[in-house]
Amino acid sequence: MNKRTFAGFAWPSVAIMSVLMVFPLVTTVYLSFNRIFLRDLSSREWIGFENYTDVLQDPDFWAALRLTLLFVAVVVPVHIILGLGIANLLDRVTRGRGFYMAALLLPFIVTPVVSTLLVRDLFDRGGLLSWLWEVLTDDPFVIDSGNVKWVIILHGIWSITPFAVITFFAGIQILPEERIEAADMDGAGFWAKQRFVVIPHLRSLIIFVLLISIMDAYRVFDSSFVFGQSVGESAYTLSVYNFNTALSAQIGRVGKGNAIAVLIVIGIFAVLIPFLRKSYQDQIAER
Amino acid sequence: MNQLRATAKTLGIHTTLLVMIVISSVPFYWVAQNSIKFTRDTIRSTPTLWGFDVTADPYRKFWFRNSEQNMWEVGLFILALAAAVLVLVWASRRAETTWPWNLGVVITLWIALVAFPRFFDMNREFDYFINSVFVTVLTVIISISIGLLAGYALARYSGLSGAVILIAALGFRALPRTAFVLPYFIVAKELGILDSRLVIVLALVAVNQPFTIWMLRSFFMEVPREIEEAAMMDGATRLQAFRMVVIPMMWPGIIATSLFTMLLAYNEFLFVRVLTVTEWTLPVAISALTGGESTTTLTEAAAASVSITLPIVIVIIVFQKHLVKGLGAGAVKG
Repeated sequence: MNKRTFAGFAWPSVAIMSVLMVFPLVTTVYLSFNRIFLRDLSSREWIGFENYTDVLQDPDFWAALRLTLLFVAVVVPVHIILGLGIANLLDRVTRGRGFYMAALLLPFIVTPVVSTLLVRDLFDRGGLLSWLWEVLTDDPFVIDSGNVKWVIILHGIWSITPFAVITFFAGIQILPEERIEAADMDGAGFWAKQRFVVIPHLRSLIIFVLLISIMDAYRVFDSSFVFGQSVGESAYTLSVYNFNTALSAQIGRVGKGNAIAVLIVIGIFAVLIPFLRKSYQDQIAER
Repeated sequence: MNQLRATAKTLGIHTTLLVMIVISSVPFYWVAQNSIKFTRDTIRSTPTLWGFDVTADPYRKFWFRNSEQNMWEVGLFILALAAAVLVLVWASRRAETTWPWNLGVVITLWIALVAFPRFFDMNREFDYFINSVFVTVLTVIISISIGLLAGYALARYSGLSGAVILIAALGFRALPRTAFVLPYFIVAKELGILDSRLVIVLALVAVNQPFTIWMLRSFFMEVPREIEEAAMMDGATRLQAFRMVVIPMMWPGIIATSLFTMLLAYNEFLFVRVLTVTEWTLPVAISALTGGESTTTLTEAAAASVSITLPIVIVIIVFQKHLVKGLGAGAVKG
């Protein structure tokens, strides 16, 4: 395919990404250096790095950052390990696999706002788990500002594990039978087979799931927003803190909100740039 | 002895999987039973898991303006709709050319959607449901159309700019919504197009392009070049070869990518919340129902949750194989 044909096919997609992603991103960076409020968007004033120093001195920012990093640090590894385990189990059953798969997919496909409400109802007063907790400890479980982060994390694991399960399951399906048989011949046990055959085979998929889940966990919004409605700031992740700073009627500091957005973007790219460089080199090598 | 051990092992695997299923579906069971309860049964100190009185009140309150609405009529309407769709699907399975029957399914669903508010006096929530369907369908159609063109080009072109676009798209995939939404909000406000469903569609298409082109590209890589080259040898142009030869081999990829796009659009909360005032979709409507000062009862919120979840569950169950296969094919290569 020559360059002209390529441009002819690719331009609508490239155009929409440029207009609706590159342009807004540049605007976000520009506005982060301005003082601008939600109630009067037309008046803006260049103030340099003031928004940034403001954010960095805001204890709410650090609290939101801590919660976000905790969320990523727990949800990402736990869901990958669970995903590998369940995918392995699914691979070893033949009967009822479709049924298991459908039931396991549910938490992944349900609207996150709704699934957060479902989990909230389970844990809140009158909920099934709250009641079970009461039976075990004599105190009903109530979601409060202290434990809400763990409920958010549990919800996170619960809702993204199915993605890892079906991805790894698909990967295991194309693992050549002979390699397992060869390992069996050598007398390898279950863990040895995992360690030397299955995991190396799934390596690129594990990196793929790792990458996607870091991106998604780092910007988690919906569940934190819903819990924030009932318990307040202790449930805020970076994205919700950002949203509230810029767009809630009481605060509405759009300039500061943009500075937060820029800091969030810098944060994710600090982690991603090695991955992006590696993918770029792979792409070049492919050509 | 070995036989016994193998049986025990299989039993263990099934038990573990069953436990996993219980964990993944308990919240759904809980909400489903809450949605058919009377409020008095939800505030008892010991939960009643079965044997409670069943009612359709929560659904009536959520969907219908008429508080006397006969729910048997509604059930009958939905049953008739389901029967019509099932007959068409059954016919499509036996027919040689399936597309007229599939089109029939789409038209039937569309007529039902239009007819529903004529038969019944619906709440605003039904408008939000229509908005959800509108945004989802349009986002999928536009995303996939331009994504197919770009995905194909990226699979076949070996120049440097292809690599640059792919990596830039991967970078865009990582960006949080909050990095775009403020400029969208400001521009939409200044242009006076805030609160329009089309703005939501455009925003969703844009943030979904990186994923769409990566996934579709990996499916195009599976289609052998020789096939389209042969067609072009016979005098077809590149575009004709693409349309007549390549696209027909792409259906599994198109369906899988569409399903993921559908989930993204139907479930979107942040964009809709910021960019609309009245033209909500269901996720925003539900969060408003259950937010801080709302007086909605637990049962009504549960009925709302079940109502928003059911359509997506039905679609996914119908296309489940494509979703799993698609993720495999897409991810293994990408």
